[in-house]
Amino acid sequence: MRLVIDESRCKGCNLCTLVCPYRIFRPGTTANRRGVIVPELDRPERCANCRLQHLYGRRLCGVCQMICPDQAITWEEEGPCEPVKVAIEY
Amino acid sequence: MQGNTACAEGALAAGCRFFGGYPITPSTEVAEHMALKLPKTGGVFIQMEDEIASIAAVIGASWTGMRAMTATSGPGFSLMMENLGFAVMTETPCVVVNIQRGGPSTGQPTMAAQGDMLQCRFGSHGDYSAIALSPASVQEMYDLTAEAFNLADRFRIPVFVMADEIIGHMREKLVVPDTVLRVDRKPLQKGNLPFRADDDLVPGFPTFGKGYGVHVTGLTHDERGYPCATSPSVHEDLVKRLVDKVESARDAIASCDIVNPEAQVVFISYGAPSRAVQQVLHDTRRDDVGHLRLKLVWPFAESLLSRFPDAETFIIPELNLGQISREIERHTDRTVIPVPKLGGALHDPSDLAGLLEEVA
Amino acid sequence: MTYEDWFREDRLPHIYCVGCGNGTVINCTLSAVDQMGWNKEETVFVSGIGCSSRAPGYIVTDSLHTTHGRAIAFATGIKMANPDLKVIVFTGDGDLAAIGGNHFIHGCRRNIDLTVVCMNNMIYGMTGGQGSPTTPPGALSTTTPYGSREAAFDLCGLAAAAGANYVARYTSYHVTELTRAVRAGLESPGFSFIEALVQCPTNYGRRNKFRQVLDQIEYFKSHALLVQKANRMREEGKKIPDDMIIIGELARRNRPALGVRK
Repeated sequence: MRLVIDESRCKGCNLCTLVCPYRIFRPGTTANRRGVIVPELDRPERCANCRLQHLYGRRLCGVCQMICPDQAITWEEEGPCEPVKVAIEY
Repeated sequence: MQGNTACAEGALAAGCRFFGGYPITPSTEVAEHMALKLPKTGGVFIQMEDEIASIAAVIGASWTGMRAMTATSGPGFSLMMENLGFAVMTETPCVVVNIQRGGPSTGQPTMAAQGDMLQCRFGSHGDYSAIALSPASVQEMYDLTAEAFNLADRFRIPVFVMADEIIGHMREKLVVPDTVLRVDRKPLQKGNLPFRADDDLVPGFPTFGKGYGVHVTGLTHDERGYPCATSPSVHEDLVKRLVDKVESARDAIASCDIVNPEAQVVFISYGAPSRAVQQVLHDTRRDDVGHLRLKLVWPFAESLLSRFPDAETFIIPELNLGQISREIERHTDRTVIPVPKLGGALHDPSDLAGLLEEVA
Repeated sequence: MTYEDWFREDRLPHIYCVGCGNGTVINCTLSAVDQMGWNKEETVFVSGIGCSSRAPGYIVTDSLHTTHGRAIAFATGIKMANPDLKVIVFTGDGDLAAIGGNHFIHGCRRNIDLTVVCMNNMIYGMTGGQGSPTTPPGALSTTTPYGSREAAFDLCGLAAAAGANYVARYTSYHVTELTRAVRAGLESPGFSFIEALVQCPTNYGRRNKFRQVLDQIEYFKSHALLVQKANRMREEGKKIPDDMIIIGELARRNRPALGVRK
């Protein structure tokens, strides 16, 4: 699974930056075409839901999605890919 | 049977299964009779906290597909105005019985008046059209209330039964028909947009709970039902359709009694004053005096006036200061003589006969 | 099915300002509804007028966007006429506590089987930031330019006193708890009232020293006090500061409910 921010919906309130336990969301720096400064993703592969949703068969954490007032945060299915070693911070 | 009870019986016969009400003289007997009878027919009676909530609950119930009504009098009718506009905008069928009493304000709770005839037509803000019936007997309290539900469902509009205290509290013989004609609202065809009108300018009804997924809003909305409050053309099209769907049918739905169409002097009346006019006609037995008794007052069909081609004078007795006279003056070049009366008592037939002598 | 399936995708993004908490409350409510396993056909959302009341327009079920303050009255009609429908009311503080106060207390008194989610932003947001019955004393708004001099309504206390079966308060920061509270409200028969304090950066925060969206959320986070802890503090004789927001489940009882299919 891949964490994505829908730029057509995000209004740049940065609430996601407050709640993510992994601090994946960072306040953005550049405005997009609509003039919204969309948060940036810092190594989104660390997201628990990205890694483990399929294993557990349910949505894990998901606090960023729940607090996002603009329904801009979703997870997308990814195609088959090479396994990558990821360092997890605790 | 009492007029108010007949009204409730007519509603029950028409299939009304929801009544949301609030006690107010002189309409309370309608609510009382509904409270007695509705639970036995599987219907719902609920006494709300005020008239605003009553009409709100009625509109909510109507969206579940039920035939729903409320009954009130002047002060309660005033409170209902905003939500009646909501019913017009969202095209919600419902029936509101107004047993009119003397106003303004608390006025004369136990006396008759017809002072709300313009309020029912123009009372809510914005442009719209309304249907108002005016019974003149206990029998008509039954018949016209039942018919009101058919009109409400056909046009998807609140329909007013504008009775008055005299008719509401009068006791007369009632002949209960074996069956009451019932014309239900047409359902929305699946796949159609919920607010796209058919040829009759009325869209199909998307009942809640049937999977239509319709959004109903009092905001100006497009054919999908989505709010579209800043587009001038959407608003103009919507409001014009809401008016036209009623006004274009005003000749088709016109309902009246006509006596002596060749007459030169014609009484025009609705509701309780019709009884005084009937007495005058009965007493004088003159061929040159006619009577147009409106059962359906709004929308006023001006073609009814041409049913009296020889008429020179229209005499219009009303229990107000000439609310419908003004509408009739607008449509004719003949002499119009309003006979206003306030205070709660009916016109004295001898006074009307005296006026008749003066005129012709 | 997830809660995202309940959104009317063709109407998003919604009209709410940047950082408005209403979107969060919609997420939590829809998530709770989705967890209940209800069908879209049998669920109806009702609302009045105001920012919060635009919410049903973004939800794919049957929805009724009514007149100001009357949402509970309309919902009462729907629920009484067809008890098989699940009726949820979105409302705001002005809608519910000011113009709709009478309908609110009578809804609680009747204990009719509705779930009312109040997005309390402590201000009239849609009309441009006027003081509401829940504007805290001293707070600035366009109609209280020198600070509100009136006491604020405790909506949950009002609901509990008037007889609601389930009453809870959370904020838009407490998304998991709020979802759980809405779910508990949906599960319990009778009148369920969930007050969600939401930030209004545009009209409340801007005038009341919460200049950034996150400032007011941080305030909710630091000033929220769970009701159990508040009770403990009271027992211990400690004083609870006036500006604390008591959150949690504030009432749960089993009075006979109206509008429930026997």
